[in-house]
Amino acid sequence: MKYGDKIIRMEGVIVEVHDGCVGIDLKGRLGYLKVPMRMLITDYPVKVGQEVAWNMSFVEQMGPEINEKYMSNLMTYQKRQEKMRANNRDDEEVTQ
Amino acid sequence: MSITAETAKEHAKDPAVLCCRAEAGITIGVENLEDPTIFDDLVDSGLLNLDGVLTIEQILGATLTKTCDSLTPLTPDVVAGIKEVEQEMAVEEPEETEAEQKEEVASSQSIVTTAGGVLKIHIGKGKDIDIEIPTGITAGAAGVQMPAMQPASVVPVAAAPAAEEKPEKVIRSLTRKHFKITEVKRGPETKIEGTVLYIREGIEEEAAASQELVNSLKIDIITPEQYHTYSETIMDVQPIAAKEGEDEIGSGTTRVLDGVVVMVTGTDANGVQIGEFGSSEGILDENIMWGRPGAPEKGEIFIKTEVVIKEGTNMERPGPLAAHTATDVITQEIRLALKKLDDTLVIDTETFEQVRRPGKKKVVIVKEIMGQGAMHDNLILPVEPVGVLGAKPNVDLGNVPVMVSPLEVLDGCIHALTCIGPASKEMSRHYWREPLVLETLYDKELDLCGVIFVGSPQINSEKFYVSKRVGMMCEALDVDGAFVTTEGFGNNHIDFASHIEQIGMRGISVVGMSFCAVQGALVVGNKYMTNMVDNNKSESGIENEVLACNTLCHEDAIRALYMLKADMAGEEIKKPEKKWNPNVKENNVELISNVTGKPVELVANEQSLPMSQKRKEKYD
Repeated sequence: MKYGDKIIRMEGVIVEVHDGCVGIDLKGRLGYLKVPMRMLITDYPVKVGQEVAWNMSFVEQMGPEINEKYMSNLMTYQKRQEKMRANNRDDEEVTQ
Repeated sequence: MSITAETAKEHAKDPAVLCCRAEAGITIGVENLEDPTIFDDLVDSGLLNLDGVLTIEQILGATLTKTCDSLTPLTPDVVAGIKEVEQEMAVEEPEETEAEQKEEVASSQSIVTTAGGVLKIHIGKGKDIDIEIPTGITAGAAGVQMPAMQPASVVPVAAAPAAEEKPEKVIRSLTRKHFKITEVKRGPETKIEGTVLYIREGIEEEAAASQELVNSLKIDIITPEQYHTYSETIMDVQPIAAKEGEDEIGSGTTRVLDGVVVMVTGTDANGVQIGEFGSSEGILDENIMWGRPGAPEKGEIFIKTEVVIKEGTNMERPGPLAAHTATDVITQEIRLALKKLDDTLVIDTETFEQVRRPGKKKVVIVKEIMGQGAMHDNLILPVEPVGVLGAKPNVDLGNVPVMVSPLEVLDGCIHALTCIGPASKEMSRHYWREPLVLETLYDKELDLCGVIFVGSPQINSEKFYVSKRVGMMCEALDVDGAFVTTEGFGNNHIDFASHIEQIGMRGISVVGMSFCAVQGALVVGNKYMTNMVDNNKSESGIENEVLACNTLCHEDAIRALYMLKADMAGEEIKKPEKKWNPNVKENNVELISNVTGKPVELVANEQSLPMSQKRKEKYD
């Protein structure tokens, strides 16, 4: 990485709390981050609206290539998700 | 910042550098010196040059001859009255064989030194990891010189003047009867005929109906020919085993099917993976590190369930639990068929004995398991091996330490809901074949008194609450040594460090084991974390998304075992290398093999798997 040592302090707000993960909006409309519970260090019970902070650097591209393995996994995953969503909608209509 | 007399003593052989401006003529004391632990960074960044610097023990009490600014390294030209310190290396005359070994060792890496007849092994990997094994041992106070040509005798851990050898005591035993399965088919009823397992058609609907949150369930039977197919994220790998008669987990007889495992996978109704982040689903044979204690063996048939749970419940506690419970409906039916089998079909019988060795060094294994919630949970002590019925979720128990016997661990007392990341998570099958428990149980120099499972809660105050209980438990057990293991990395390293501190502060030797390397570097540390073993196997020291790649294996267990023995024998532990260096492990493994005369076979890593060229270039 070319800029890996440019570490900046980021702040965010917890906007989603699940048993296994939290969703964090980065302050300044800079994005959204979802992390598993174990990657979050907490002194108090986790609640929506709490502010969090961490250090990060910019995300850099590693190169122009496309990794076919990830690409194919992603396509399969998305296709499946679409199909399952459609099925799920159909099921709901039937039950209604 | 100046240092204390205690720190100065610890760092007696480290460079002496002024912490602040000092006038000529003063007598140099600890208050004038900087803490040596920060020097590495300063040297790296070019702010400090330690060439020709004197050590702390040399300059304490000497006089400064020139007024110097802060961070000035103390060299002979600014100090008068330097203390002569004996050079340790030259004190004893090593016998010839030792000298030979010394040369050989030193040429491999500078990490290893032999000084005064002590073979020092250094396993610095991000954090402190050292082993020291006396080569030509001088037996304790008696001072009996043992022949130097016996580097094979590792530290005799039993106290030197062992008055009389107390006999070993077998507390209980566990028998595993293996039944071979070569084919899995669907049929009108669940049964085993010879080596063919039939799973009842239509069992899927019943399994799905058993859980309110489960919308549907599909069974795929994956034979080795189908390894190269897409699969959802693997949530768990489980052995299929059942107790005989009224036997309970951890004793009596267990029947187990060889050649077949249960694999839990699933998504929510919208197709979102259960309890997972990112792209770890994919082609099976590219994503599984075969043969790890928790992973399938190559050649095994997978009974793979694909559970679909209600949308949006994939990250809530009931979701992953429902997927596991629904899968267990199928496993339970196979267990019932397994219980009916005739003994003539047994292909192999194994017996595990829980042996106590009074008089030997008493040790305990503390296994930290996840307890933050949802998929970060484990079911403890089910009625059947790796079952669901009768088990209590670790989170519901408040993550407090639970003591189990080593045989209960090997008999499937943990049903793991296994969270992220795939490379470091310990699957249910991992406990069934737990290498550290096996190695310690069979080590004749150690007395393994039990295994403590302790959950890792989310909130820091709860983490310290449970780790204080671990410390108290170890104190009450009166152990000489303890292993603390954890899976993966993240906030669980906070309680991992705290467990080690709580045990270490009671004067108990402790060795920590975790995946650390590059990506999982510890977030916290304390002065008791000097003996650490890294479970990393990946080439570049990262979470490489390959199932079970970086989990605890026999090679790690052996390193931890020798490290704990060395520490209990009172060997001094050296500092680690500053950055993760995979060579340290290789050197240590080689040294252990040389000393014990038994080769330590290292397991393969992800490089042995089929992998696209691009991924190879990018990732490793």
